[in-house]
This record gives sequence, C-alpha cells and structure tokens, in this order.
Amino acid sequence: MATRLQFENNCEIGVFSKLTNAYCLVAIGGSENFYSTFESELADHIPVVKTSIAGSRIVGRLCAGNKKGLLLPHTTTDQELQHLRNSLPDEIVVQRIEERLSALGNCIACNDHVALTHTDLDRETEELIADVLGVEVFRQTIAGNILVGSYCAFSNRGGLVHPHTSIEDLDELSTLLQVPLVAGTVNRGSEVIAAGMIVNDWTAFCGSDTTATELSVIESVFKLREAQSSEIVDEMRKSLIDTYV
Amino acid sequence: MTRRPTQRLCGPRTRPFPFSSFGRTTALVASTRRQSSSLKRHRNNILESPGKGYTKKALKDKNIQPESSSEEDDEETIQADFAFFDPRPDDFHGVKILLQSFLDNKQWDLSGFVDLILGQTTVGTVIKIEDAEDDTPFSVVTALNLGRYKKHRCITEIKDFLIKVSQKDVSRDLSMLLEDGAHNVGLLVSQRVVNLPPQLLPPLYDALFNEVSWATEDEPTEELRKSFRFKSYLIATKIYKHKNADQHKKTSKGLSEDPIIYIKPEDEIFQKISSWSFTFKLHTEQVAAQELRNYKLTGLVMAVEADKIPIFRRELHSLIDGP
Repeated sequence: MATRLQFENNCEIGVFSKLTNAYCLVAIGGSENFYSTFESELADHIPVVKTSIAGSRIVGRLCAGNKKGLLLPHTTTDQELQHLRNSLPDEIVVQRIEERLSALGNCIACNDHVALTHTDLDRETEELIADVLGVEVFRQTIAGNILVGSYCAFSNRGGLVHPHTSIEDLDELSTLLQVPLVAGTVNRGSEVIAAGMIVNDWTAFCGSDTTATELSVIESVFKLREAQSSEIVDEMRKSLIDTYV
Repeated sequence: MTRRPTQRLCGPRTRPFPFSSFGRTTALVASTRRQSSSLKRHRNNILESPGKGYTKKALKDKNIQPESSSEEDDEETIQADFAFFDPRPDDFHGVKILLQSFLDNKQWDLSGFVDLILGQTTVGTVIKIEDAEDDTPFSVVTALNLGRYKKHRCITEIKDFLIKVSQKDVSRDLSMLLEDGAHNVGLLVSQRVVNLPPQLLPPLYDALFNEVSWATEDEPTEELRKSFRFKSYLIATKIYKHKNADQHKKTSKGLSEDPIIYIKPEDEIFQKISSWSFTFKLHTEQVAAQELRNYKLTGLVMAVEADKIPIFRRELHSLIDGP
C-alpha cells in the first residue's frame, strides 16, 4: 500500500527519510505529522528512528542501507553514529565510511541483494558496500545520469527508474537487479524518483503531489497490493492456529 | 506602428532550481532538451504596448555582476533575456518552489494554490529566461479574486492563517475584507528570486494591472468580468524588521540603521499607500547574513485600495527607472 505525505510542504520525502526492510530513518523537525505517519504504518514491524546526519535533515540522501547494514558518510558526528547504533537492532551493521562522495544516498541504490553505484566511487567503498550490506555491486548509470541513487528506487520485488531510461537500459538493469523495472515519474512528473518516494518490500511512501496514475504504477511495479493481501492472510493464520498439541 | 526599441538586459544566467550544487550537477548531466515554450499573445494589437506575451526589457551596456560561487569563475557576467509568459500547467514545480514559504511554515494545500494560479491564464505572469533549456520560472505574479475561489481549500486556509496572525485592531478590517467583501478583493501574489533585476518590476506590475483591466472587458461571462473589478488588493509579504525597532521609538536617539528593510522595493510603496497594514512573527528558520544580523524576517500584510494603484505604478516607475 502506498501512502502520500509531505515534509513541511515539501513533497520530496525521499530526501528526509530512508526506508528499508529492517528500519526506517526519519529527519528531525517539521511537524510531528511526518514522523507519526511513519510510526502508524511501520512501528509494529520495524523501528522508526528520528535522526540527523552531519547535523542536517537530508538523511535520506546522505546514507545508504538495507536490512543488513547502514552506511554513513564521514561527515556523520560521533553522537549521531552512537545514536543510530543504539536505536537499530544489533544485527544491522552501522558503518561510517571515508568516501569523497559523501551523499551516499545519491550515489548508491540498493536492495537486500544488489547495489548500483556511482561510477566514480572508490574501490575501497565498493568493497565496503559489498561487505557491510552483503550485496553484489555494479557501477551503472541511469538514463545517462551518474547519480544512480537519485534516479531510481528499487526493492526486492520491483523498481522504478528515471522516465527517460531506454528500453535496452531497462532490460540490462532488470537483468542485473533480477527484479521487474518500470520507467516512470513521481510527484507529478518529477524525474528524481528516489527523492520523491521511499519503498521497501511491503509498503511505499510518496510525496503528496503524486498523481493517482503514478501511484497505481508504483503499487503495481512494487507489488504492494499483493503484499498487503498476503499480510492479511498471515495475520489471519496467526489467529486461526489455536494450540499445538 | 513602430515597435518600441528593444534593448538587451544582462542578468544572472539561468540556474536550475534549487540553486544548489546538486541541482547544477543534475542539470549538466541531464541530456534532455526541452522545446522552447510558445509565447502567448494576449491581445492582437499588442505591438503598441509593452504588454503580455513578449517583452524584452534591457539595459544597454550595463552588466549586472551575479554573485559568484566558489565553483565558477570569478565575476562571470552573463547575458540573459527575460520574457513574460502566461501561467501554464507545466510551470507547476517552479512556481511551487517560489511560493514555498508563502504561509510561513504551516502545512497547507500549496499544490492546490499553485494550480489555482496556473489555471488563471488571463491574469497572471511568469518570468522565464527566453529560449532556455529548462524553463524555470524566476518570478510569478497574479491577482486572485477571494470570492471567486472561496470554496477552494487553499483559499480558506489562507484566510484562516491571516486572521490567526492578525492583531486586534486590524482584525475587524481584515475579516471584513475576507468575508463580506471577498468578491471585491484581489489577493496579490508576487514572488521572485532575490536576484531578479529590478528593471523588470515596472513592466511586470504594469502587465498585471493592465491584464486586470483588460479582463474586466474581455472575459466571456459577466460574472468573470465582475470578478476582476477589484475594489482592493490584499498583499501578504515579508520584510526585515530591526530587532530593536520598537525600543528605538521610545528613545529619542536617531537610528543608525533603517528600522525596516524591504526585500521587494514595491512593498515600500504599497505600505505607504495602504489603507492598513500589520506585521506578524514568522516561525520559519532564518538564514542570517552578516549584514542582516540585527534584523528579523517578519511577515507583513496590507490592504491597498484599487484606486490607489495608478499612484503605485507612477511611484514604482520613478523609483526603479529613476528621475
């Protein structure tokens, strides 16, 4: 199920939040509405952590992560690093990395199995990504843009990429990522997909300018409607099984 | 009929919104080339006046030095031609960014408000760089009839916000304008980038008020024609107020600094001819430049009678174009 929301009249919610299958990071500030929307949707399943990174609110664009780990830029302060380590479950490796390109969220797009990175990323960073996040790393561009983390958003079930991606590129990326991909827009025609929406395997959040058409494309490519129905069955199953003898 | 001689205006080069390194990088990397927008002619005999659709306003041989960023060459001067356009639905994102802080930091139906502005093509202007690859709006100006749009959520939210921040003595005047007199009140919306050349302001406001008067004759229905016969204009804007402005009134010492700095020069003229005005505190985060460290960004609301507008136009011309 996809939810529309705003951060302080700004529809670029992917800038102020980061969503994975194991946790959700949210920027401080703005009204409590932003945080409480995430809490009501996610708090039963995963921790929702309020944080800043490098003293700024653009947490979604500065960090990259999946259910196994979280990568932070070198500009992250010690207190922020400690706060994140404390708030997230121990299985999640929280690592601060020395990388010249410090907006990791713009340079790295990943799910739990594969990561696409900026072509100029350091070799050591590439190894760290493979290590900490447990993914296979590919250096790619999307529709000629090197900021792969900005122009695509993908989960383990599907992905949305820059609207001007060619069919050949779409096929190539789809083969690399092993998920179905669709070229589309978010927030009423914005091409910066990852800034306008965040997604994990069972839910997505988009900026409130997202049209109904864009929302239905998102729900279908990320298989969110199916995810919801299977969740309902799971919940029912828990209540149906009474006792084990 | 001879056309007025056009001159070249040099101004800051188009920069993609937002004015950030990220924005610049993405604009450089993006390979798409947009079509240059078609210019709409508002009236057939437009050649006589510097009216809507196509105006080149410039200053010969005068280069306006833009602020240089650390990434670009020092003191780069750029040629730019600004053109006036009717609002179009494509301008949504640019105009939305310009109006981001219109109602302080309150969360409201900004998207609906922008749609309202862009839907009114007969009155309203957007300034863009002519033939630029990206058609980012640099300025938007319009007048919306509060009565005509009173059912829209954004207009209700604006009204509630203004009533909430108003002080006791003007609240009555304000509510009269907003409730009973709404069908005669035009909300004047004017926002632009801070470094827009001031030479564009007289033609911009002339275009707006000309369009309002043309609309009273040209609109297809009597109801629409009536909706543009504004009796007064309501303006919500921002100024820099000196932090010690109230204290200084009590002492007899002269102020070494101005009590109020107007971000937009026309606001000073508007306030002079306004029927009433009030200021209110803003909650948005303020970036304090060194020169402005003693000043606080403050909201200002004023009402201007429509028959004072010719005075405004005259004073604006003499302020900007000089004696």
